[in-house]
Amino acid sequence: MTAGTQQRNIMASPAMRGLLYATVALVLTVIHVVFLGFVAFGIVTPDLLMILVVWIALEEGQFTATVAGFAIGLLYDAAGADVLGSNALAKTAAGFAAGYFYRPGMGRTTIGSYRFLLIVFAAGLVHNLLYFTLYVQPMQVSFWQFVLTFGFATTFYTTVVAVFPMLYVNRKKEW
Amino acid sequence: MRRFVDFVVRYKNYITLTALVVMSFSLMSIGSLSQLGGFRAVIVGSMGWIQSMFAWVPNPIALKSENTALRELNLQLSIESSRFRQAMVENTSLRNMLELPAYTDDKLIAADVVGKTTVELRSYATINRGRAEGVKEGQPVITDAGLVGNVVGVSEHYAVIQLLLNRDTRISSKVYRSNVDGLLTWQGDEYLVLRDVPLAFDVKEGDEVVTSSYSVLYPPNIIIGTIQHVGKEANSLFLNIQVKPAVNFGTLEQVFVVDRLPSSERLLLEDSIITEHVSKEGSR
Repeated sequence: MTAGTQQRNIMASPAMRGLLYATVALVLTVIHVVFLGFVAFGIVTPDLLMILVVWIALEEGQFTATVAGFAIGLLYDAAGADVLGSNALAKTAAGFAAGYFYRPGMGRTTIGSYRFLLIVFAAGLVHNLLYFTLYVQPMQVSFWQFVLTFGFATTFYTTVVAVFPMLYVNRKKEW
Repeated sequence: MRRFVDFVVRYKNYITLTALVVMSFSLMSIGSLSQLGGFRAVIVGSMGWIQSMFAWVPNPIALKSENTALRELNLQLSIESSRFRQAMVENTSLRNMLELPAYTDDKLIAADVVGKTTVELRSYATINRGRAEGVKEGQPVITDAGLVGNVVGVSEHYAVIQLLLNRDTRISSKVYRSNVDGLLTWQGDEYLVLRDVPLAFDVKEGDEVVTSSYSVLYPPNIIIGTIQHVGKEANSLFLNIQVKPAVNFGTLEQVFVVDRLPSSERLLLEDSIITEHVSKEGSR
């Protein structure tokens, strides 16, 4: 049995995949909170966790992505000292929206193509419009100006960063 | 029951979505629960520890914007500091001036110097007080440092002062220490000259020169300056005394006009005696 075959057998187990996603989510949360300030433009940063939610949606389906989005959003709310439930709500909706593009067995193919960027953009738009709507509620600023400016800016930035996992999967020949 | 289970399985995604959305809103509404606060404190503490480990990593973008902001703040603070220094100097000067009324019974009219003119060795200053404020021609002008000059022209709201640094300056003055009388004039350089002091009289460098009671225009004992040099000229019976003015005319900004005019009776009497003497000399 080759190493690649062994790896595939391990990853066939949903529990192992869940553990892997949880670990990646934890690592990305730490990166998000600690390091993303270095690549921020004002308050605009790429949403790495949102990319993970879309990845899970394309690999595991809508139901798993919805639950994963909730869990990952909740983790980020706790770690980032944000309003508990705000990111959970936004990522739940993003996971649900991205889940519409799930095709059994076509996960890696989709992720390694430009379609992944479009799905990330669409899901990111849903996520950010929802999140910034909640964000701007208690503030004395123009709703549409703020949401459309920062919502779209964050979505575009996230889509640009999504190029890296897309290229990574695209170069892998084993899938 | 089976239909219910089929329904749930068929629409599990939407049911899950609804349930999680409701849970999210519930969490948002109860975000301040103490148990949650404890959990979050642990998370925030852990994140804070990790962030502190990487706090040494510089953020170039943030540093650049911080630099720009600090530079602007520095400039603003420099301007403010300069204003405060100027205000402090002005404050000290004005405080000194406020002590003036204690040394004179005459009313003082405060004024700002708004202009200075020098025409053929005649120096004048314009102040922003005039007839409306009680300024009259002939009134002496002083500062806390000493004598400035006298008013030679008045309009409704402005007046012109003839400064001591003026070729027409003739002030009856005396050396305060030894009561030696003399006539103070100006010859065109930085010093005033005390004239008509005989060689034998007691005059030293450092002595203060003040207005004497013989002066018609000025009240007595107003500081004029300090003796800088006492010399003896060849073939002269008098000392060559140079007096440094007490007032710095280059930085004159605030002055006081003394509400005091020469006694008209005295002026008339002195004029009549001089006129009578001159006519007697002429008739001879």
